[in-house]
Amino acid sequence: MRVLLYSLVLLFCVSWTVNAQESVNGPKAQVQQTVDAILEQLRADSVENVDRRETISELIHAKFDFLIMAQGALGRNWKAASTEDRAHFVALFSSLLEETYLGRIQAYTDEKVSYGAEKIRKNRAVVDTFIHTASVDIPISYKLLPHDRDWLVYDVVIEEVSLIRNYRSSYATILRKKGMTGLLEEMQQKLEHLRKRNDSESEDAA
Amino acid sequence: MKVFLYGLLAMMILAVPCRVLAAAEDSEQSLTMQAQAGDDLFDDLYADDEDELTADPLEMVNRGVFWFNDKLYVYLLKPVAKGLRIIPQPVRSGVANIFDNLKSPLRAINSLLQLKFSQAATETGRLVVNSTLGLAGYYDPAKTYWDLNKKDEDFGQTLGYYGIGKGFYLVLPIFGASTLRDGVSMIPDGYADPLFWTVRSEVLWGLRGTNIVNRVSLDKDTYESIVKEQLDPYLFIRDAYLQKRQAKIDD
Repeated sequence: MRVLLYSLVLLFCVSWTVNAQESVNGPKAQVQQTVDAILEQLRADSVENVDRRETISELIHAKFDFLIMAQGALGRNWKAASTEDRAHFVALFSSLLEETYLGRIQAYTDEKVSYGAEKIRKNRAVVDTFIHTASVDIPISYKLLPHDRDWLVYDVVIEEVSLIRNYRSSYATILRKKGMTGLLEEMQQKLEHLRKRNDSESEDAA
Repeated sequence: MKVFLYGLLAMMILAVPCRVLAAAEDSEQSLTMQAQAGDDLFDDLYADDEDELTADPLEMVNRGVFWFNDKLYVYLLKPVAKGLRIIPQPVRSGVANIFDNLKSPLRAINSLLQLKFSQAATETGRLVVNSTLGLAGYYDPAKTYWDLNKKDEDFGQTLGYYGIGKGFYLVLPIFGASTLRDGVSMIPDGYADPLFWTVRSEVLWGLRGTNIVNRVSLDKDTYESIVKEQLDPYLFIRDAYLQKRQAKIDD
């Protein structure tokens, strides 16, 4: 009986440590799969541009928690916003962030990406990645939260600058000056402008 | 994991002088600061400090200088940098490395001032190895073969390390984003540049200009994409600069 108990405890410990190590579904593996898949899409010559953008968009949406990010970008202003404004903001912010992230990662399509350690504490994870350009290594860290069986990105830290904190600081200032209506309007305009640009750029590439 | 452990260890050691310094100030604040520095990856989802980060009483003037720098970049720096791109990229990277090697003394001195002794030794080692085997810093054998990595340190960070606040945000002509503390620190930074002691001042500024243009030639249009993508590039760059400096002081 005792032996059985010990072996159960032992088994439990072993399986626990296995889980604690980098598993197939761990944050690092998930970030790596997504980033590799996006880069593969960007590097592939044969794919139609429209299809490519759609595939990449799906990849991003599967792993980024846009609701939490939008809340983070508004900070304390989230509470004050009406339900409609919130929904409108989340939609606009998600699209803007997607375009921005894409623009950045596109610039480094030809560079080598390596993956550092994953750190998990409580229910948060950080995965470090590095883009190795000819002159410098650019650190990009992804911060993740567990969600069902997945880990979802809630912030991207590029060269020690948190994107979401950066957005929050900018948006807070714009909100003070122009209010929610003004902010949403500016976001709408910026998004249309960006989409036009990205479309024409993919046509140029083709 | 190892890096993280070292970080924790370093922080425990650093906490001692920090506490002495903070005793005169609000001691409660210093405790929360330490907690933040240690746990910022994992605690508050997005540390809530937006108001603290953005003291910008000179915003009107700063925006004027920002506008000037924008024009300078778009109409002068960038076109020249693009012209420079006829030189093969590895050569330009090598030149950037040479200029960077000249900043080793600055990094070593400030590591020392911040009691980061092993980093000071690393920087000294890098200077010796790269100046000789690395052909005046063109190559970086210290990193490639000995895994000696540089870490950006300057007088602004040293002042920040000893608890001197950033003052307020400043945009400097040509040099761009800065703060009162970091701007003033550029003066002692200049004295730590070996070129300052060895070449005439016209040559010195010529070389510094070359360094700036060369770096722009190696950059992948970071500034352009910020201008295109952000609602207000001035705010974006201000916050990015302040976040980055804080991270460098906290490490």
